[in-house]
Order: sequence, then structure tokens, then C-alpha cells
Amino acid sequence: MNDFAITIEGLEKYYGSFKALHGVNLKVKRGEILGFLGPNGAGKTTTIRCILDHIRPQKGSIKVFGMNPQAKPHVVHQFTGYLPGELRLEDNFRVEQQLRYFSQLRGNQLEWSFVEELAKRLHLDLSRTIKNLSSGNKQKVGIVQALMHKPDLLLLDEPTAGLDPLMQQEVYRLLREAQSAGTTVFFSSHILSEVETLAERVAIIRDGVIIEKSTPNQLTRMAIRRVKISFLEPTDMAFFQAIDGVTGVSSRNGEEVIIQVEGDLDRLIKTLAAHPVKDLETTSHSLEEIFLKYYESDQEEGR
Amino acid sequence: MLVELRYTLRRYRGQIIGWGLGLTLYSLLMVSMYSDLAKIDFGALLEYYPQEMLAFFGDSFQAISSPHGYMDLYFFGYMTIIVGIFAVSSGAKLIVKDEEDGLMDLVLAYPKSRSEIFWGRVFGYIVTLMLILFISWLSWVLPSGSAGMGLTAGELLRPFWGLLAQLLLFGSFALLLSMIVPASRLASMITSGLLVANYLAIGLSNINQDLQNIVKYTPLHIYQGGYAILGINWDWLLIISMGVLLFLLLAWWRFLYRDVRVAGEGGWKLKDIFSLRK
Repeated sequence: MNDFAITIEGLEKYYGSFKALHGVNLKVKRGEILGFLGPNGAGKTTTIRCILDHIRPQKGSIKVFGMNPQAKPHVVHQFTGYLPGELRLEDNFRVEQQLRYFSQLRGNQLEWSFVEELAKRLHLDLSRTIKNLSSGNKQKVGIVQALMHKPDLLLLDEPTAGLDPLMQQEVYRLLREAQSAGTTVFFSSHILSEVETLAERVAIIRDGVIIEKSTPNQLTRMAIRRVKISFLEPTDMAFFQAIDGVTGVSSRNGEEVIIQVEGDLDRLIKTLAAHPVKDLETTSHSLEEIFLKYYESDQEEGR
Repeated sequence: MLVELRYTLRRYRGQIIGWGLGLTLYSLLMVSMYSDLAKIDFGALLEYYPQEMLAFFGDSFQAISSPHGYMDLYFFGYMTIIVGIFAVSSGAKLIVKDEEDGLMDLVLAYPKSRSEIFWGRVFGYIVTLMLILFISWLSWVLPSGSAGMGLTAGELLRPFWGLLAQLLLFGSFALLLSMIVPASRLASMITSGLLVANYLAIGLSNINQDLQNIVKYTPLHIYQGGYAILGINWDWLLIISMGVLLFLLLAWWRFLYRDVRVAGEGGWKLKDIFSLRK
């Protein structure tokens, strides 16, 4: 049995002369929750649409549970649940009509009681007309249609967009339950706290290339920490600049120093032991700051 | 495919009722006026009309007191334009509007092939047009006896086949064009322009002989209108039907092998327009 739900190798996609994907390589393990991060236009949606065979890459290959979606798209779609980033529904339908239509597209093989259960948990009124729903409630319809057939793979493009915090928590619970039942979840998001709480692994895409694949914890550990040290007397900064992992040192008067350290603080602490320290303060970075670091370097390179 | 057919019909429910009702009211009005108009001596009246105007409407003015001439002049002559605008607009939107709105992105993620989606919607569209014309046909058939038209239901049905074929021809062309140009609205606009231009050119060709050489290659040149009551020109109907089939097959092929659009995609570069999925 294939250990990977999704295997992407060397994926390249052009829109006219614009190259959207520059050789994406990514593997998503069966049963894991993978958060797919990246700034706008980085290639998240393009990657998801290639997986679904809505668009075709010029180079590279995709396998979903060992199957090529280009050869058998509707077979892949049978066990996939998809929530698009910009969800559009039939305005004049009632919610139930819309979901029954989606159910018919799946051959009416799902349990309607499960649809009702999902709607109840998300406080979604099935009798309302789509055009009268708020964007958050429309998003709930999107979530229900993605989950209603208990798929093996969930492809979710910003799943909690427009939802209030309580509903976001309920969606996280639903996704964790789906994972417990064996579903693989591949979701893109801009909400870093969401990725931190939900994802087991994170892949960061920038300019159509995966630039980082890790766990949220590893990413946080890899982060640059900021250490603020107050000395009892002026101290020579050259000592600290020579330490492995130190990426920057700044000082106001030699008594108060801010040091940026990548990785652990062991060497810094040992070096500090030789100096009279009055106070020490460290700031740990959240995933959001790490993401911004990647994003900022993207912008700097673009300048 | 049946799911998409039913879905398309449900979407067009309002259009079927609206267009059916509108055409019914118009047809009833025209039928009720027939017996009075038939009594008028049109020969004397037409002598006062400008020759150019009479020429524009072709033979229908001369045959206005006959059922086929009357129906041609007051109904079938310009139903290609009236219902044609609906047929063109719906054809252009049939698939691509949902792509532009983002709904197709979701629908195609379901386990239905693109062919099932395409043909389900096309058949739904054809049935919609047939239902609208059927309602209109009923509104001619039911009162025609009392109005003294002296036509059977079968005779009254004949011109509707020609009208349906023309509507499908322009509608399927709009569908094909929507798969090529960047927006469904543009496809609708171009096809509507061609339809109106063809209609005007047919009329003007009766005045300007030079236009005859051009219009003989256009679809409305082989449209019988009300004259089909006297007998269907099967060759013409076959040619139009072949055209419909060709446009539908090309549109289907294009839909199968191109990237699904989302709003904002598409462009005017030739290589973008004709690019296909490998």
C-alpha cells in the first residue's frame, strides 16, 4: 500500500508566459494533517487545482493514493472532498437543494443523516436560501459538502475563512475527527494560529517553490530568537558576534545588548557566564513571525 | 448526465415560464387578429407602401392574408431575433458563466466526467428551448381553428422545427465562442451581433443585389420561417442541424482539453486562446 496520499514531483505550471509553479515537490502522508502556507499568489491554489486536474501542469507528476488524477480524475474525485478558496454556490437554491444536488453528483450514496448532523454542529439552517446567507454561513455549506461523503482526502483552500472563532473551533474538531477516521487533510491557510493548532506538518510555498517542509514545532525551534541582555558594565560586542548561531548584535551603550540567535541558546549562555549580567530576556517567535520572515525575504529579493 | 440535465432545467425554470408566457400572450393576440386582417384587401393597401420597405420583408407582405404569410410576417420572421437573444445569451453562459463565477471549480471536483457535465447541460438547454417553443406552438394550435386559419397541428408544428434549428445554431456557436474568448459576455455579444447583422442583411439583400452574394452563405438565408407550413425544406434543416452538431462537438472537445477557468483568467493572446491541456 502506498504510504502517501499525495505525491507531487517537479510540478511546473505556466499561465501564458507567467510561471506559477517552479517545480513543486511535496509528499503528504496518509492520515496526516498538512498545512500549506504561502503569501498570495505563491501557488497554493494552483497546486490544489492541479491535484484535482482542473488545470494541467506543463511538467511534473501528481499521484493521489498512487493514482494519476489526469488519467482518472473522476475516480480521484470519488474519495476526495474539496473546498475552494472562493466558494460560489447557486444563489437561488435553498441550502438543502444545493446539498442534495451535490449528493446527486456523488450518486446519492451518502448518508443524509450525516449531512444533517454536520449542519447541526455548524448551526447551519438547511431551509434558508443561499443568497440570503452570510459569507460565513456559505462557508459552512462548503465545509458540509466537502465532508459529507466521509472522504479519504480533504483538499481545503482556507477552510475557516469568514467563520467566527467558535465555528472555527468546531471545524477544527470536525477535521480532527475526520483524521481519526483515517482521512488525510491538506489545507491552505493564512491563519497561522490555525496551522499551529491543527497541522502536524507545514509546507511553505513561495514563488511557486516549496521552501520549507517541517512540523510547526521544528519551525519554531529553528526560529531566530531575540535575546535582550543588560550588563553591569560595558562589554565588548566582538565576543558575541563570534558565537555560532548569532546572526546579529546591536547595542545602545555597551551595557544593553540585543542579540539575534538562530537555534538553541547553549553557546550564548556559556559565553555570557564570563560577563557580569544584570538581566536577560528572551523572546520566542511564533510561527507567524517565522512565516513573516519568509515573506519579508521574498519581498526583499523582489526589490 | 441526468443530474446535470435536471439541474439545468431547474435553473431555467423561470425562463421557461417567463418566455413561454410572453410568447403565449403574443401568439394569442396575433391569432385573434388573423380573422380581421384576412378580410382586408392588402393588395390595394400595399400600393401605398414604399417599395424598399416591401422588399425588406420579402414575400411575406404579398402573402399576408394567407396563414403562412401572416405567421411569417408577424411571428416567425423575427422570432429568430427575439428568442434568439435568449438562446445566444444562455448558450454563452451554459458552462463558462459558472467557471467565471467559480461554481464550476467545485462542480468539477465531483466524480462526474467533463463530458457528463457538458452533455447534461447541453441537453438541458435544448429541452428548455423546446419547451418554450412547445408552449408557443400550443398557443397557436388551440385557438387557430376558431380564428379560421384552417391549419392542422402538424402543419403548425413545421415552422417551429426550423426556428428551433436556427436558435440552436446560434446558441451552440455562442457556446463554442465562450470556450475560446476570455469571457462569456463577450461571446454572447459577438454572437448576438452576428445574429442581428444576418437578419438585417437578409432584408437589405432584397434591396441591394450585391448583398445577395454574401447572405447566401449565412444561416438565416436558409430559414423558411412561416413558409415551412407549406412543407419543410429537409435539406436546409439538415444543413443547419449539421452546423449545430459541429459547433457542439467543437465546444465539447475544447471543454475536455482546456484548463478550467476562474475569474480573471483568460486572455487575448492567440497562444492562450488556443492552448489546450496536454
